[in-house]
Amino acid sequence: MILSAIAAVVQALLLLLASPLITGLIRTAKARLQNRRGPSPLQPYRDLHKLLRKGVVEPETASAVFTAAPFVVFAATLLAGLLIPTVAASAPLSQFGGVLTLVYLLALGRFFLALAALDTGSSFGGMGSSREMTIAALAEPALMMAVFTAALGAGSTDPGRMAQVAIFEGWRFLAPSQMLAFAALFIVLLAETGRIPVDNPATHLELTMIHEAMILEYSGPWLALIEWSAWIRQMVLLTLLANLFFPFTLASGPGVMELLAAGGLYLLKILVLAGAVVLVETTNAKMRLFRVPELLAVAFVLGALALISTFLFGVR
Amino acid sequence: MPLWSDPLFGQTMITLMAAAVLVLQITLVAQKSLVASIRVFGVQSFLLAGIAGTIGWFTGAGHIYVAAALTLLLKALLLPTILLRLVEKIQIEHEMRPLLNVPISVLISGLLTLLAYAVAEPLQHGMSYGGPAALGHNTLPVAVALFLTGFFLMANRRKALSQVLALLSLENGLFLGAISLTYGMPMIVEIGVFFDVIVAVLVLAILVGRIREAFDSMDVTRLSRLRG
Repeated sequence: MILSAIAAVVQALLLLLASPLITGLIRTAKARLQNRRGPSPLQPYRDLHKLLRKGVVEPETASAVFTAAPFVVFAATLLAGLLIPTVAASAPLSQFGGVLTLVYLLALGRFFLALAALDTGSSFGGMGSSREMTIAALAEPALMMAVFTAALGAGSTDPGRMAQVAIFEGWRFLAPSQMLAFAALFIVLLAETGRIPVDNPATHLELTMIHEAMILEYSGPWLALIEWSAWIRQMVLLTLLANLFFPFTLASGPGVMELLAAGGLYLLKILVLAGAVVLVETTNAKMRLFRVPELLAVAFVLGALALISTFLFGVR
Repeated sequence: MPLWSDPLFGQTMITLMAAAVLVLQITLVAQKSLVASIRVFGVQSFLLAGIAGTIGWFTGAGHIYVAAALTLLLKALLLPTILLRLVEKIQIEHEMRPLLNVPISVLISGLLTLLAYAVAEPLQHGMSYGGPAALGHNTLPVAVALFLTGFFLMANRRKALSQVLALLSLENGLFLGAISLTYGMPMIVEIGVFFDVIVAVLVLAILVGRIREAFDSMDVTRLSRLRG
């Protein structure tokens, strides 16, 4: 019990402290690939520091939803992060729920953000939240099906249990359906974290913006909380992708050396995935909003095929 | 037993690569840019050569290596280069407009893949599992799926060049089916098929150029009148 409490605290700290670094590294790598020098990878920490010291300006039209949203979003995202295994092959809060809880905690955060954007009554907020909900409604089925494919392979919806089964089975765990599910989940990752074919994370002065349009009215520590939870969410999704489909580097015992080695490999996996995201971002142009459903249709079909081929391929 | 001589490991690798081939085929259906489609086709052929090479390694049949090497050289390197040159030379617009829009096309190819699974399933029942004899047999549904979606892709495209690409991906499905069921046809048939494909692409390349010269476009829907 005490051990799992410590694990929860350590994992929460890991998510809180490492997620700005991942975002910073993605930004720097992207700038380098575009022949710019770019900001230092530590810039997100400085942004957080700056924002947390400032005051808050609240719009006159805002209600209590506007005030509550940053905290709800932050708490939901962090909780979702505690439901997946990061370094060790078990999730700290696994007794509270499995993958389904994770998906709906992320959805709860998104719902409150959209609500808060509507609450201020600005036209940008309304536009942003309607776009966000459109994309979310299309991305969520694909996410669910990809996650269920992995759950079917392991016979459990608890991500920690899934990782243990995979480690036990070794390379036999790699089934063709997982390849399809991985591809689907990667597209969902791009859509959910607002990456370039779907949304441009680098600008907040564009008519096509989605995430930035929703948080336009926020300032100071509240903005810091929302930005921070967006970074944590990105790290949670990267971790989900890395540890659902390639969990073999996770530590299965409580040894210190083992945990340290697994931690290093975990960061390596996340960085490889982040590198893939950077490559996609630099080689693609942003899609028109009406073409985003095409991309998500591909993710949906891949996810559906993955789920069905688990039954049909005859491997398992 | 070391990993590289365990046939079950070989089978896992082959099915993984086959699944990646299927993912690439669906990308091909969703892709609108011609240049990107050609590159996707190149990667797909590269994976096919990988599958052939793995089957060759685990069965010890020498002629499959030749087939793998031919696939690598011709389909993964030579054909994409020829097609990319062609695109550059005739400077066509890179966006292709399929007859059906992308979500419907992708859904249809998903359904075709399901059909392929349903068709290939009874064939798989009689086969033995495990051991080198069963290697790659469960890629049959993927092969049938490549074949069916290749057909659909060909019907769904307007431009002659993208139809050539669809034909090539269809041929990839045939190759995958042949190599996974029979460990490759006799060498002479294999070589014949490869030269057929090369000649077909070269002839079609010339034909595409001609169509473009005569009609100022590669849209085959304009070729609707016979003239004596």
